[in-house]
Amino acid sequence: MRRGAFITLSIVLFLGSFAAGIASKNIKSAEMKKYSVSWSDDLGTLQKDLSYGDGKSQKFDLYLPKDDSKESYGLAVYLHAGGFTSGDKSGDEQMLSWLCSKGYVAAGINYTLRTDTNTASVLTQSDEIKEAIPKVIEAAKEAGYPIDKMTIAGGSAGHALAMIYAYRDGKDAPVPVVLTFGAVGPSSFYAEDWGIFGAGTETEKQRTVAASLFSVMSGEQITPEEIEDGSYLEKVKPIAAAEWVSNNPVPTVVAYGACDKVQPFAASKRLKAALEENNVDYQYFELPHSGHGLQNDDAISLKWIQTVDAYLDKYMPVK
Amino acid sequence: MTKTRWIILVIVIAAGFVLGRLAVRAVLDMLLGGTLFGGNLL
Repeated sequence: MRRGAFITLSIVLFLGSFAAGIASKNIKSAEMKKYSVSWSDDLGTLQKDLSYGDGKSQKFDLYLPKDDSKESYGLAVYLHAGGFTSGDKSGDEQMLSWLCSKGYVAAGINYTLRTDTNTASVLTQSDEIKEAIPKVIEAAKEAGYPIDKMTIAGGSAGHALAMIYAYRDGKDAPVPVVLTFGAVGPSSFYAEDWGIFGAGTETEKQRTVAASLFSVMSGEQITPEEIEDGSYLEKVKPIAAAEWVSNNPVPTVVAYGACDKVQPFAASKRLKAALEENNVDYQYFELPHSGHGLQNDDAISLKWIQTVDAYLDKYMPVK
Repeated sequence: MTKTRWIILVIVIAAGFVLGRLAVRAVLDMLLGGTLFGGNLL
């Protein structure tokens, strides 16, 4: 082979193996695959886009297990990620299918996303979830699946909303909330923890950023002065799940990346402290090399989902 | 093809594969946070 042809062949092989390397990052281990189930009619019935309100986004999907002969069922709600501004319940089909395959009625619930032209906030979204749960339970009952207990979970923004429901609203739920689980959901809003967005309490600029960020998230007008004197904490309390743990100390399984650039890892430490303080049966997984995607600690990610599985079996056993 | 060229091709393929995985990891770490090394290697 001529030198030129050999160099060309080397470049082609390099590019091909480079692409294969990229693709291989998306391959899940056999153990992890167990928790990503593709939906099929063999699993049961999927009812899509049921309404729980008049809003365009106020819809939920209901995954009903094949076995419809039981007296009662556990409900597993999983709320989608997307920074409160994007995402859809359809993105969690594999997680919801896995939960349904375990014998639960599973539900993915959409909520009104924040846009430049509306005033949706974490508070209004959490209120939508509160409004949706009785409708989800009613729809399951109408389909022949009476619900007697529930767990609520989610990823990132969905995890935040799930924790708010479990700790803040869980006592008002139509059925007992026996477990909450999820990953990388923000659970507290102390300005000094949110330095990744330029927020803080030390300088005027930091306080202005914090006031702006927390105003949008809480749906309350917060000023830099309130950041400085600490009075903003009362205004963000309704969306700060960690502040509500004592109200309804639900068993909890969570995972957080220590290098998270999207939601502050420091905030998760406050959640951990609240869980500890309130003697909650909890499991807190810290992924030391990962960020918001929990992408660099596969062994711990696997341990997290295996623990979720075990806690589901413990607190919401399928009869 | 000579033995030397075969060895070069194997090294090129291995390097491409490893760099492909590292590139994904670097991009994700840049966007989401994370360490380039540590945890599950690559």
